[in-house]
Amino acid sequence: MKHPRLHLREAPLPGGQPLAFAIGLTVALFVGTLLLLGAGHDPVRIYSRMFEASLGGPDAWAVTLNRAVPLGLAGLAVAVAGSMGLWNIGAEGQIMAGAIAASWVARIGGDWPGLVLIVAMLLAALGGGGLLAVGPAIARARLGVNEIITTLMLNEVAIRLAQWLIHGPWKDPGAHNFPLAPMLPDQAHLPTLFSRAHCGLLIAAAVIGISSLAVRYTAWGYELRIAGSSEATARYSGISLSRKILTVLVISGGIAGLAGGVELTGTADRLTESISNGFGFAGIIVAALALMRPSGVAVVALLFGAVQIGGQSIQTLGVSSSVSTILQAFVLFGAIGAGVFSRYRILLDGEAPVVPEEVNQ
Amino acid sequence: MNEASLIGLFVATVSFGALLYLAALGELLTEKAGVLNLGVEGMMAIGAVTAFIAGVEFENPWAALVVAMISGAALASVHGFFTVALGAEQVVSGLSLTILGVGLAAYLGKDYVGLPPGAKLEPVQWGGLSDLPWVGPIFFSQAPLVYLALVMGVAVSLVLSNTRLGLALRAAGESASSTDSAGHSVLGLRLFAVAAGGALAGASGAYLTLSLTPQWAEGLTAGRGWIAVALVIFGAWRPGRVAWGALLFGGTLALKTRLQTFGVDFSPIILSMLPYLLTLAILLAISVRSRKRPSPAPTGLGLAYRREER
Repeated sequence: MKHPRLHLREAPLPGGQPLAFAIGLTVALFVGTLLLLGAGHDPVRIYSRMFEASLGGPDAWAVTLNRAVPLGLAGLAVAVAGSMGLWNIGAEGQIMAGAIAASWVARIGGDWPGLVLIVAMLLAALGGGGLLAVGPAIARARLGVNEIITTLMLNEVAIRLAQWLIHGPWKDPGAHNFPLAPMLPDQAHLPTLFSRAHCGLLIAAAVIGISSLAVRYTAWGYELRIAGSSEATARYSGISLSRKILTVLVISGGIAGLAGGVELTGTADRLTESISNGFGFAGIIVAALALMRPSGVAVVALLFGAVQIGGQSIQTLGVSSSVSTILQAFVLFGAIGAGVFSRYRILLDGEAPVVPEEVNQ
Repeated sequence: MNEASLIGLFVATVSFGALLYLAALGELLTEKAGVLNLGVEGMMAIGAVTAFIAGVEFENPWAALVVAMISGAALASVHGFFTVALGAEQVVSGLSLTILGVGLAAYLGKDYVGLPPGAKLEPVQWGGLSDLPWVGPIFFSQAPLVYLALVMGVAVSLVLSNTRLGLALRAAGESASSTDSAGHSVLGLRLFAVAAGGALAGASGAYLTLSLTPQWAEGLTAGRGWIAVALVIFGAWRPGRVAWGALLFGGTLALKTRLQTFGVDFSPIILSMLPYLLTLAILLAISVRSRKRPSPAPTGLGLAYRREER
């Protein structure tokens, strides 16, 4: 019997990752069709509605872009850590920490002018997210504690911290005993660009752009990538790994925190328990699909945002929201699988690995 | 605080402990073979919903349990296929599995929300033992899955430390290439461990809908899968220690809803942070200590194995 096995390609297939995403989408559409038929819906009607609601006009684009902003920032947070081979699984909690810190500023600065207040809130969000990452960063840099688990645990802690604030010290006395944080001051909302799209888009684009350039063109980014590809090489070339780990994880946490601040000032009225909304976890997937490249994150976040918004829109047609969750999962698995095949060729046992012929000349 | 409510607390501690223990044992087995599966929450959700559906349809709780375990194993095998067979990133695949499991559970269960259960696993009575004060209600009037958790704990422990299969599994988690050289199939061992871990997570989910809260609602697992992941670390990858950890974490879950009854002025929300904070503390302690002793984590945890790249 012949067992298929995987053989590493000399270089990944050109365009492999966009192809992987397209394959993921195709798989998801196929599975989605089955699910929709199973639930007695007309797939064509549902899919055209999804497209309409996410990309079918300026209003739809605005909603999709607003969704792409936290996804992109969270994805960037993961990708920055990922380009050094670190896993920040804690973006979900760091988003929460950012939103908490920004809300705190809004509480003390309720009468500050809009621009000052918003800038202060966003800086606080940056700091809040970074602060939550400091512990895992030190533990990883100084003690070698795996950052996957520490950041994961802190997610649960941060979300409970928000719950506690909302149910306790920050509960709005005017909310008729409902556990709600008070409304943000009016001037704490980000101005809009067009339709409902808010300025967070510019912030996210700027942060992604700067990070992308920093990782690609600065000495700092070069060292980062060396450390990511080979710890030994980094050590021999005199890069201080532990300082690098420390700064990168804290920056990563800060970017995720910023996502929380932007989400709060951009789309929310108040701090809620669900403000992080799975963006942190989605960000991991966005970053992985972008192969941990900050520049790829923007594109993937936009596509993923469209999938999410489209998925939400069909709830009004009576399609359970779980269908859209399942669709997302299939996009992911389809893309993960296709991503593997773009880097590996399948060989049957006994077959010698084929050395690819030189294409040029 | 009277005697009855204190007994109630301990009864709930053991029940919640067993719930967490089943899932954590599954994750332990998976991680011992070198695979990190962050999809526990999703597998528990699938176990919970399929057990409930099977209970309604077959009206037999044991059939429901089997269905849940098979479903858990099947879902876990998705992770197995992508991470073990294809060598995809375990973190990404595991998180995707949670999304898939939670979504699939909601989809499958949407017509069953709020229905009365078709089958329940009733507490086991151990004759005179169950009538003993304190010990009777706490240990000898629990649901069958509590005893199953105990049996599985002993079984996993024995298999891992005393059998050839267990040795091979641990070897696959420590050093995949030498396991391969020794003639074992790393692929087979890891796929088995992942599927078995999924079955245990499925059983844990079934315990929710067949005994603890016999009904189905979206979000029923409420983050307990993450506690199970934490428990494995808390117990330093040892079934016995994980059991004590499960009781401790189970205790915090049990205490959470009872703080007010006991007249303790402490936020239940802050209390529910405890398992995660304790796990963090333990992680730090392990790493400080492991400067002298080797870390208890499987060396190959999280690393894909491809023969060609060894």
